[in-house]
Amino acid sequence: MNLFRFALDNLYRRPARTGLTVSAIALGIAAVVALTSIAWGFEASWQKANDARGTDLIVTKMTSENTMPSPFKAEKVQQTLAGLPHVKEVVGLLSEMLTVSNDAPPVFVFGWVYGSYLWEHLKLVDGRWPASREEPVVVIGALAAEMLHKKTGDQVEIEGRVFQVAGIFESSAVVENGALLMTLDMAQQVTDKPGKVNVLNIKMDADATEADLRSIKEQVKQTLPGFVAITSGELVSKNAVVRISKAMSNATILIAGLVGALVVFNTMLMSINERTREIGILLALGWQRGTIIKLIVSEAVILSVAGGVVGIVMGVGIAWGLEHIELMRGKIDAIFSMPFFFAVMGLSVLLGICGGFYPAFKAARSLPSAALRYE
Amino acid sequence: MSALSLSTPILRIKALNLHFDEGRIKALNGVDLDVREGEFVSIAGPSGSGKSSLLNVIGTLDAPTSGELVFRDQPYSKIGDASLFRRENIGFIFQAFYLIPTLSALDNVIVPTIGCDGTADEYKAHAEALLTQLGLRDRLHHFPGKLSGGERQRVAIARSLINRPRMILADEPTGSLDSANAAQVLDILTGIVKEQGLTLIMVTHDATVSARSDRIIRMRDGKIEQGASA
Ligand SMILES: Nc1ncnc2c1ncn2[C@@H]1O[C@H](COP(=O)(O)OP(=O)(O)OP(=O)(O)O)[C@@H](O)[C@H]1O
Ligand SMILES: [Mg+2]
Repeated sequence: MNLFRFALDNLYRRPARTGLTVSAIALGIAAVVALTSIAWGFEASWQKANDARGTDLIVTKMTSENTMPSPFKAEKVQQTLAGLPHVKEVVGLLSEMLTVSNDAPPVFVFGWVYGSYLWEHLKLVDGRWPASREEPVVVIGALAAEMLHKKTGDQVEIEGRVFQVAGIFESSAVVENGALLMTLDMAQQVTDKPGKVNVLNIKMDADATEADLRSIKEQVKQTLPGFVAITSGELVSKNAVVRISKAMSNATILIAGLVGALVVFNTMLMSINERTREIGILLALGWQRGTIIKLIVSEAVILSVAGGVVGIVMGVGIAWGLEHIELMRGKIDAIFSMPFFFAVMGLSVLLGICGGFYPAFKAARSLPSAALRYE
Repeated sequence: MSALSLSTPILRIKALNLHFDEGRIKALNGVDLDVREGEFVSIAGPSGSGKSSLLNVIGTLDAPTSGELVFRDQPYSKIGDASLFRRENIGFIFQAFYLIPTLSALDNVIVPTIGCDGTADEYKAHAEALLTQLGLRDRLHHFPGKLSGGERQRVAIARSLINRPRMILADEPTGSLDSANAAQVLDILTGIVKEQGLTLIMVTHDATVSARSDRIIRMRDGKIEQGASA
């Protein structure tokens, strides 16, 4: 018999209330886990796509904070950039979210400069790559193939135009796996944006340094008004969807933390009011006030930690479920890590302590004689 | 018990008052009482006469409105930590037992040691020894709901003894028991108290119980009636 076992026993005594409290905390924690893992995963998968492509710097319109930066005429900017020191390749990229099948949600359609370095990181698993700049074919990501029920040789209709599936590829980034890919020229034609790109990707030569990157950023700022050169990480963290999903996950953390603490607070307050006389007895038996505080806070923390564990399991389940529903497939890739789980458990412990603190002090302050007389 | 220890006071009370409602209720109204080391004092008196109030003040559960109390050589006014004082010196026994229903007899006895410095094994062994001494050897793992009233009160007695107090304060400990059980519980309690040389102050309405005490105190209207003694 020790303090911990006594605390557990007190919770077992009220199984319904304990269960409800744990469930309420678990729901909050589950929301935190699901949303946070998706928000971070979203950022990470875009970053991964950019990193996998081997892009060092991305040049976009300054105002671009949409999911995809707004398109601009590429030619002049491209020429300027290509003339800068240590720049090896400058390639344009056009990206749109388009409906390609009536019974599937919209997917990303990318147009990449034919023959550019962008294509190099993809792995062809079936069929072939486009054979020329003007060939009306697409290659599709493995996940998109599965979602659209398409295979090599099938046809897809994009913006009223029919394309043949030339092949299927795999990428380490989920956003690319869920996308359709064609040459930039075809993408400009089909979206009616001749000569335009969303972003220009810069690949530096092998002996470029951090300082060279910085100097290019500076030169873009000075010679190309309205444009910025940023790293893929900077682009992704500026992205509106990434920012909204992160803000939502932060708000969820705040709300779940507050609601969880309030639930614990309410439960523990009820619990100590019910046990007024018992607390008087414990004090009469020589319990220190500090021991009463430890008991009540322990009970609160046991509740919140149990809620945290259940919540993590639920949250991982929810994130997994969201990844696999049709609408979201290929667009999110929740990430989980040990530090993340530790942080969530830390949040649980914290809300237990916060919620249990006042009830614990209230219990410890009670006058033993009054508590004993209490009916 | 030696004549010497009986002559040493463990508790001296002078002009003790305990008022409630800004003095409208005088639960204790000028109580003077000396209790000797190892003495068994019983307190009788009508309902509302202040018996429980007196035990509460002696046990530091209530702070007196005025008056002087001294435990051995320590004035109550100098007690810094009342719960530590209780833990080291006082054992409480209540009429309604006040056991924790979801804990076994053994765990109930161990409860007062939670937060103390000793080892769990040590407390467990002590609790088992006490319950065995109280005739509950085969009831260690029973829950209060499965025990008779007499057995429950014996568990409560073991609980009051676990921290090795110097003084037992019992508020009508046999009040909820039939006469056979009452007699048995009283035999066991007085036996242990005598054996360990503890001081026992017991509130009781039962004349056969108070007859066994060293001294009977009668209370009325918050005062001790004079001239009563066994
Ligand atoms: N906290 C309190 N507030 C107000 N009045 C109180 C309080 N505690 C005790 N009293 C009053 O003090 C008086 C003495 O009460 P006490 O409980 O000491 O009586 P008692 O002798 O133990 O009675 P009983 O035999 O019924 O247990 C009673 O009139 C009671 O109502
Ligand atoms: Mg009473």
